[in-house]
Amino acid sequence: MRKYFSLFFNFFKIGLFTIGGGYAMIPLMRETLVYRDNSLTEDEFLEMLAISQITPGPIAINMATFVGYREGGLIGSIFATVGVSLPSLITILLISIYFTNFIDIPWVKKFFLGILTGVVAEIVYITFDLFIKAKKTIFYLSILLLSVIELFVIRIDPIYVILIGGALGIVFGKFFEVKDAP
Amino acid sequence: MLLRMFLEFFKIGIVTLGGGQAMLPILQHSLVRELHWISQEKFLYFVSVAEVTPGPVALNMATFIGYELRGVIGSIIATLGVVSPSFIIILIVARFEQKFKENALYTRFMLGVKPVIIALLINASYLIIQHSFSNPIYYLMALCGLFIFTLYKKSPVLILLLAGFTGIFILK
Repeated sequence: MRKYFSLFFNFFKIGLFTIGGGYAMIPLMRETLVYRDNSLTEDEFLEMLAISQITPGPIAINMATFVGYREGGLIGSIFATVGVSLPSLITILLISIYFTNFIDIPWVKKFFLGILTGVVAEIVYITFDLFIKAKKTIFYLSILLLSVIELFVIRIDPIYVILIGGALGIVFGKFFEVKDAP
Repeated sequence: MLLRMFLEFFKIGIVTLGGGQAMLPILQHSLVRELHWISQEKFLYFVSVAEVTPGPVALNMATFIGYELRGVIGSIIATLGVVSPSFIIILIVARFEQKFKENALYTRFMLGVKPVIIALLINASYLIIQHSFSNPIYYLMALCGLFIFTLYKKSPVLILLLAGFTGIFILK
C-alpha cells in the first residue's frame, strides 16, 4: 500500500510542477525516479520518454501510466495516473469557480513566468548532462545533428524525428551496438 | 450529453500524437467549429490559462471545457475521456515491454532515438524561450537558475519556486 501512495504523491508533485508543456516535467521526474528512488536507470527513463512521445496522448499521462505499471502493476498505474491528473483538475476547477480572471492578476502572472525561467534552466542543464554522459560515436552525433536540422530548419513534427532516428538506428545501429553495450 | 463529452474527449485523446500542445488545433476544430460547444474567444482564453497553470495542457483544457459545459461532473468526465486512451495504450505497451527488450530491433531503434531526445530537449527550451521570454531579465534569471541547479540539483521543485518568487519581484 505504501508503494501505491508513494507513486501517487510522486506523480502528484510532478503534475503540480509541469508548467510550460510536457517537457517541463522531465527534470523533476528524472531527479525523483532515476536519482532519488533509483526505480529506473537513465536508459530506461529515456526509452520510456521516447515511447511516451510516439504513442497517443499527453506525455505526462503516458509516463505516469508507464512508470506506475512497472512499479506496481495495474493498480500502480492507476495511482500514478490519478496522481499526475489531480493537480490539473483541482487548479482549473478552482480557477473556473472562484478566480475567473486569475491569470490577469499581475503577481500571479509574474510568478508563473518566473517558474518558466526555472523550467528552461533545468531543461538546459539536463540537455548538457545527458549529452556529456552519452557515448559520442559518429552515429550518435550525426543523428543529433540531423534531428536538430529536422526540428529547426525543416520543422518536422517531433514524432517523425523520433521515428527517423529509430529507423536509422535499425539500419546502422548494428555497427555500433557492441561498443555501446554496458 | 455526458457520454457524448466522454466520447469526444476520448477521440481527441487518441488522435493527440506528440504531447498536449498537439491537441490544441484538433480540440479547437472539433469543439469550436464543428460542435459549437464553446466560443472561439473562450477557447483562446482557456488556452492562455492552461499553458501557464500547473499540469499538462491537455488535461487543463479538458477540465476547463468540461466544467464550462456540465460543471464539476463534466470536468471529471472530460478528464477521464482524454486520459483513457493514453492509459489503455500504455498499459498494453508496458505489458509487452519485456518482450520488446529482448528484440534486437528494439535495442537498435532505441540506440537511434537517444540522440533525438537531446534535440527534442533543445527544442523544448527554445519553444518556451520564444513564447515567453520577452526581455533580457528572463535570460538572466534562467542563467542564474542554471547556475544554482548545477550546484544544487537535489531539489528541482525548490528552484522552480525560487524562480517563481523572484519573478514576482523583478519581472515586468
